[in-house]
Amino acid sequence: MRQKNDLRFIIKGIIVQVGFVLAAISIFYSSLSEWEPREHWGVLFIYTLLTVFSCFLPVRLSNAVLTVNNAVIFSGILLYGVWVGVWTAVIEALIIAFLVRFNLIKAIVNLGQLLMTIWTVAFLNEWFQSLHVISPLISDLLLAVVYWFVNLILCGLGISYFYKMSWMRAVKEMTRGFTSTYLLLMILAGVGSRLVESYGLVALAPMIIAFFTISYVFLHYYENVQKLQQKVEEVKSFNHKFLTTMAASIDARDHYTSGHSQRVAHWGREIAKQIGMSPEKVEEVYFGGILHDIGKIGIEDEILNKKGKLTPEEYDKIKQHTVIGYEIIKQAGMFHELLPAIRSHHERIDGKGYPDGLVGNEIPLIARILAISDAFDAMVADRPYRKGLPVEEALQEIRRGAGTQFDEELASYFIHVINKLPREELETIIRQNDRSQKPLQDVFR
Amino acid sequence: MLLDIICFSFLVALIRGGRIKEFPKFHKIYLLVVTVVLQAFAVFFPLQGGIFISIAYVFILAFLLFNREFEDIRIFLVGWLLNAIAIWTNGGKMPIDPEQAKKLPYDLEPVINGTNFKHSILTESSNFPFLTDVIYMPSIIPRIISIGDIFIMLGAFLLVQRLMNKPISLIQLREGKSYATKK
Repeated sequence: MRQKNDLRFIIKGIIVQVGFVLAAISIFYSSLSEWEPREHWGVLFIYTLLTVFSCFLPVRLSNAVLTVNNAVIFSGILLYGVWVGVWTAVIEALIIAFLVRFNLIKAIVNLGQLLMTIWTVAFLNEWFQSLHVISPLISDLLLAVVYWFVNLILCGLGISYFYKMSWMRAVKEMTRGFTSTYLLLMILAGVGSRLVESYGLVALAPMIIAFFTISYVFLHYYENVQKLQQKVEEVKSFNHKFLTTMAASIDARDHYTSGHSQRVAHWGREIAKQIGMSPEKVEEVYFGGILHDIGKIGIEDEILNKKGKLTPEEYDKIKQHTVIGYEIIKQAGMFHELLPAIRSHHERIDGKGYPDGLVGNEIPLIARILAISDAFDAMVADRPYRKGLPVEEALQEIRRGAGTQFDEELASYFIHVINKLPREELETIIRQNDRSQKPLQDVFR
Repeated sequence: MLLDIICFSFLVALIRGGRIKEFPKFHKIYLLVVTVVLQAFAVFFPLQGGIFISIAYVFILAFLLFNREFEDIRIFLVGWLLNAIAIWTNGGKMPIDPEQAKKLPYDLEPVINGTNFKHSILTESSNFPFLTDVIYMPSIIPRIISIGDIFIMLGAFLLVQRLMNKPISLIQLREGKSYATKK
């Protein structure tokens, strides 16, 4: 397999570094004589000016910047023939080679792919013309697509060689985001050429205005998209901070469980990742963990921080925190997706949990996940009046509870997550509390 | 030589709010001095001028290469290279199209009889005619320019903008960013 890949890479190298370069030289050489007649100099001059302008007149897209050079080249091919296209490509290559990067082989390879594209399109153009059956406007349309396609395939081959990736991937990455704009510019170039052909240079006026309008619209569109993205990020980060603050305030009331919500959220996220949930769902589990005990706000301090054993009445009150939390978040009208996590994280698979006594898969997945991480943290975390259980014993408890208290499958995933972790890391997370400077999610990223 | 372009560039830079703060430094200025001396030789010995001009172009290209860190210099490099190809392949003198040159108010006699130190007449046997002085430029000062001169004018414009502390970056323009480089 490896040898096959090596061979493929070598063949690619020969095609790109020898084939492209030879093609560049021979197409360049064949056009040279076309540049010499006196009546062609004016065209060369105008296309030089056009190239200089188009090199620095990009159309900005969301993830890429597209220059209109290809459109200029295309119009040259349609109006005058291959020699103008080649000239324009050479001038562009010169500008880029001198101004942007000074890499001779890459410059010539790039020129080679461009000249081959130009040659192919010009050849097809002449063939279409000789047929006399297709309207020039339709053949231009076809040629625009051919130009795009050949350019893409050859460029992809070059990139796949220089950046050592598969040809398909290079092509796919190049098409992403700007295919439609590329084609739009090419089609405009085709229409513009035909206009210039029938009306002379006056036709450039509406074309230039059309181009500037398009690039203006694009600029503003993508600026707005970017602004919107920024706002979304801001709202997300605000949410994140807001939830973290809430968790901290819950934990601050309950002296026994400082940093508890953060750790439950952390373990919940680890389980969610392990079972292959989507990144959004994983985040949901995390925030479910952050908020799962929010109802403790509504429990009196005396019960919450009582040192001795709780009476059955007091215990019933403690149990109320799931419902209280549920009501708070429901009334808040936000984070609706987290409601099951808050209400049902004390449910048990065998139906002996609270508040609703749900059985098995009636319990939402997010709550089943958090039930395990909640129980684990409650066992291993140090309390002011006792030291936390050793990790092995806590895992033993979880194993024992699998199928009755906890979801069997999730429990085994969780045990796997914990066992996989190096011991020091595990200890750091367990001893992590609110008073440390770093938020937990930043410790192991 | 490019007085009108340079004045125009200064005007643009002034309108853009540019002021000269300090003169930018160039590396290996002596190469430029050598170029000037060689051109002076060419003026005094116009018949052998071609040799001096050809060598002068080697030195000026070298000077530009040493200073290529600036974008305007790189644009100069493109223009001077294109002109150099025309000059080197045509006996050290830039051929000028007589049909276009007729439109100019200058006496063409020295060019025709070979006593002009840097120009000759474009003929059928001239090499790379499309790179020689063949384009009539009507304003600001009427002259015949080559395709390389387009780049030299662009470079001059950019250089003046940089001198006036308001540089324009073509690379940033190309990347779709604001044209003005932030300092």
